[in-house]
Amino acid sequence: MNMQIKKGTLFTSLAIILAACGGTVSSSSVSGSNSVAPSTSVAPAFDESRTIVLYTRDTTSGTRAGFFEGIGFSAAGPSDSVLTDGFVVRDNTAQLAAMGGADKYGIGYISTSSLNNTVKGLNFGGVAPTIANVLNDTYKLKRPFMWMLRAPFDFPGSDPVAQTKGKVELITEAFVAFMNTTDGNDTITRAGAIGFYLGDDTWDDVKAQYGVCAEDNSAVTLRLGGSDSIQKVAEALTLSFKAKCGNFVPAHEHTGSSDGYRRTNGANKDQSVGKDIGFSSRPFRNSGADLELDVPANQRGQLAWDAIVAIVHNDNPVINVNADILKRMYEKASAQPIRTWAEAIAASNAL
Amino acid sequence: MTKKPLSIKQILYSNQTRWLVDHGFFAFFLFATLLSSSFIFIVVGVIFQRGITPFVTDNFGLGSVNLWSFLTGDVYLTGDTFYSSQYQIGYLIVSTLYNAILALLLAFPIGVATALFIAKIAPKWLANLLRTVVEILSSIPSIVFGLFGAVLILDQVYFFTESLGFQSRAGLSVLSTVLLLTMMILPTITAISEVAIRSVDSSIEQGALALGATPTQKNFKVVLASAKSGIFSSAILGVGRALGEATAVSLVSGSRFSGYSFNIFDTTATLTSRMLEGMKETQGVDYSIRFSIGLVLMVVILITNFGLNFVKRKIGRVNV
Repeated sequence: MNMQIKKGTLFTSLAIILAACGGTVSSSSVSGSNSVAPSTSVAPAFDESRTIVLYTRDTTSGTRAGFFEGIGFSAAGPSDSVLTDGFVVRDNTAQLAAMGGADKYGIGYISTSSLNNTVKGLNFGGVAPTIANVLNDTYKLKRPFMWMLRAPFDFPGSDPVAQTKGKVELITEAFVAFMNTTDGNDTITRAGAIGFYLGDDTWDDVKAQYGVCAEDNSAVTLRLGGSDSIQKVAEALTLSFKAKCGNFVPAHEHTGSSDGYRRTNGANKDQSVGKDIGFSSRPFRNSGADLELDVPANQRGQLAWDAIVAIVHNDNPVINVNADILKRMYEKASAQPIRTWAEAIAASNAL
Repeated sequence: MTKKPLSIKQILYSNQTRWLVDHGFFAFFLFATLLSSSFIFIVVGVIFQRGITPFVTDNFGLGSVNLWSFLTGDVYLTGDTFYSSQYQIGYLIVSTLYNAILALLLAFPIGVATALFIAKIAPKWLANLLRTVVEILSSIPSIVFGLFGAVLILDQVYFFTESLGFQSRAGLSVLSTVLLLTMMILPTITAISEVAIRSVDSSIEQGALALGATPTQKNFKVVLASAKSGIFSSAILGVGRALGEATAVSLVSGSRFSGYSFNIFDTTATLTSRMLEGMKETQGVDYSIRFSIGLVLMVVILITNFGLNFVKRKIGRVNV
């Protein structure tokens, strides 16, 4: 009997809750249709009086360093305190791109290879962010993709005393040669970056110099690391190259530009995280204990360009910006700050 | 007359063996306790040793961090990352507590109501089902909650905020953070409150009903009152989780860089989300300062727990 009452109460309560929910749903849909009906278009218009919401990567990001150097505001690369108040830090490219889709009044930046139609990529100084424009050096908002090797005879299997090179070192040298061929360049381009090699040597032209690639290397592991921005490109390169070089095993672990140096020539090179080739998505520099520029020039080089593009919401009327406009948006102490979209549109139209 | 050898049973139950086994187990329990409690000293020791370095060394020429401005200031870092030691986290301490308390205010009534329903009102089959649901909810990893928040909560909060006429930063806000934290601490509060409520002696309830109380009066005035000590413990654990959550919060908070703010539509940050940010490529003082923030967080949690325990003793005279 008691149970019966309990069940009855339960179902009555559920019915009350459901009725209440149903009530709110129907009433909100009614009020929704009422508010939409008077306006002519479904999407509300872009309100130019709104404040610009600035999005940025954190201070350790290579894309961030590339962006702020590109707009002539290098001070903001490592420092948040010079940025306009109210900026938002997002941790990775996917989040920045998602922001562009969600926040109508936001502006951010991503690498051109991540650009898709969910956001609008802005022209920089009147030049569209296309591969052709990066290669002919008219599109200026870009950063280099760099590679770095371990010191000669410092590879697994190499002997510094007898001065003999092991298979890992020989394959590494062949890999660098491959990056500087049209085959390597095509692979880089397909992976979304813009290959740096402009000559016309193919791998077939140079492979005779790398006898190790004619052998079976399926027991050899090549360790690659450094910038995670380059991971996609590096993986495409090893995938394409391992078939040409005895099926060696590429082991990718990309953790950040600074590790490109630290794990090949720096403090971590002889630990388990050590790498044979490290990548960096910014120019090499000497910073604190990281003496990247002290690594001999024949152990490092550039493989590609990565262009960075300022992104806004698709509804945003702005099409073209330049370094000055972006700097005036992001710089807190700007003499002529741009804080609202109306100001940004006026500045853009004046270009 | 030869002495009869002792049987196994006699040996097992002899006084010496019993003494040995007793003391053996005592030693084992003591060892286990010492081991587990020593972890706290090791953890605190390491964090402390690392966390005070920014204050007591000159950080390789950058100058030591000023403790007072560190604890009260409202600009996280003035100057270049890795090349400045002017860290300030006062605004983070405030916003960490602000987010946790708002989340508790939302989660506590819902959690206790759910617990009361499961423990005393729902029929047995439904109570078992709901108990399982709560357990599953409490075992969801925080990164999964975070991704959920980054997809659904941010969108909804963005549209809600914009519809009110405020400018939202992609939904990254106190509101999103609080909603997410509420969801995350709800199962903790529910599960622990439920145990406390379930263990209220049914004779007290019968007495209340016999005196003419309605079931609702009985539930509020007798059951909840009797279980309030346990219910309050659930709030303490819930706040602990809210204060310590990093991953999920960092995905929806907006990583506020400076300024005290209590606007629920504005971006925020917590001590933990700040510790996590940029962790990947950090070094030097920027790395050590995260240990200092960890120390501050431990102190904040400790003070909060003491405060709540004090309140608990004041209000919770009936123990279960």
